[in-house]
Amino acid sequence: MAFAWKASGLTYNKYLSVAARVVRRSLKDDKRLAAERRGESELRMAKWNNGKQGEHQNVAEANAASMAEAAGSPAS
Amino acid sequence: MLSRAVRPALKAGAAASVRPVAAPVATFATLREIEQRLKSISNIEKITKTMKIVASTKLNRAQRAMTESRQYGKTSNTVFEQAETKPLESEGKKTLIVVSGSDKGLCGGIHSGLSKQVRRMLVETPDADIVVLGEKCKAQLSRSNGKNIVLSFSNVGKNIPTSQKPKRSQTRSLSSQRTMLPFRLSTTSSSMPHLTKPPRLKLSRRRQSRNPVSSNFSAFEIDDEVLTNFREYALSNTLFWALAEGHACEISARRNAMDNASKNAGDMISKYQILYNRTRQAVITGELVEIITGASASED
Repeated sequence: MAFAWKASGLTYNKYLSVAARVVRRSLKDDKRLAAERRGESELRMAKWNNGKQGEHQNVAEANAASMAEAAGSPAS
Repeated sequence: MLSRAVRPALKAGAAASVRPVAAPVATFATLREIEQRLKSISNIEKITKTMKIVASTKLNRAQRAMTESRQYGKTSNTVFEQAETKPLESEGKKTLIVVSGSDKGLCGGIHSGLSKQVRRMLVETPDADIVVLGEKCKAQLSRSNGKNIVLSFSNVGKNIPTSQKPKRSQTRSLSSQRTMLPFRLSTTSSSMPHLTKPPRLKLSRRRQSRNPVSSNFSAFEIDDEVLTNFREYALSNTLFWALAEGHACEISARRNAMDNASKNAGDMISKYQILYNRTRQAVITGELVEIITGASASED
């Protein structure tokens, strides 16, 4: 079984979150507002190297970058 | 009568010179000092009380979210139990410890307890990698075990966690092999939450090997490719569980901490109230004595 989303470099969880976002956006207005708030995330991350904290990044942006990277190579 | 603004300066000057002479001025000043402290303590009490109320209203929702998320975690654990998954015994396996804390303080010793637990685990597995969620634990762990930290996340735990969050964070951290995912679990149903020993979820998985060492897994009749998906999903599931559980613990700990703080403030208030009244009484008595002696002296 081959998955189209896997070939384009998505992980399963990313695939899930995209699907969830689509569902949220297609809801009726009153429900959609509450649902979209659930989907928001302000998570920030930093990589650590040898005991030193690296730069702070927004996770959503970092994800997009890593996905673009992964899209080039064949998914494992 | 001196103006009120001048008095502290006068008091400082008096303290520098001869003490016994400055005694009446000092009593007036301490009376005012006590009054000021009393006021500030009662302000603190108000704040802690409000925080407690906020925390206890949040607690209900957090607890509900926790019980719901526990179901997720349990279900995914059941799969591993049924499949009889065992940790890999191969060489060079790495351990990843995910510490699920939060950004906010003022909730008692829950973060330091968590950090201590992690340190204890690091004694057993010194080369484990750590992923820290939340600023508080990050600060504590970076001081002692900064070398072990590979990733840290902040802005965690502002609200009740949704399943979205672990998914986002997880996509980044997937690259490392992991054998253990311990996290904090504590009981919030009792009024005093305590950090129980985190049950170690041994999800053995190596990125390279297609199949984890699960002797019974074939019973599920699942394709190998779907299995990788499941592995990813199970991880984010577990993280979600940890987040929800951690959030509930934190709120509950905060409620208790604030409860204690307002109790302490109440104790201090009553103590200072008594002290204040006594000092005031002493000052009044002293003044009365002075007036009476003055009056009786002028009579003669």
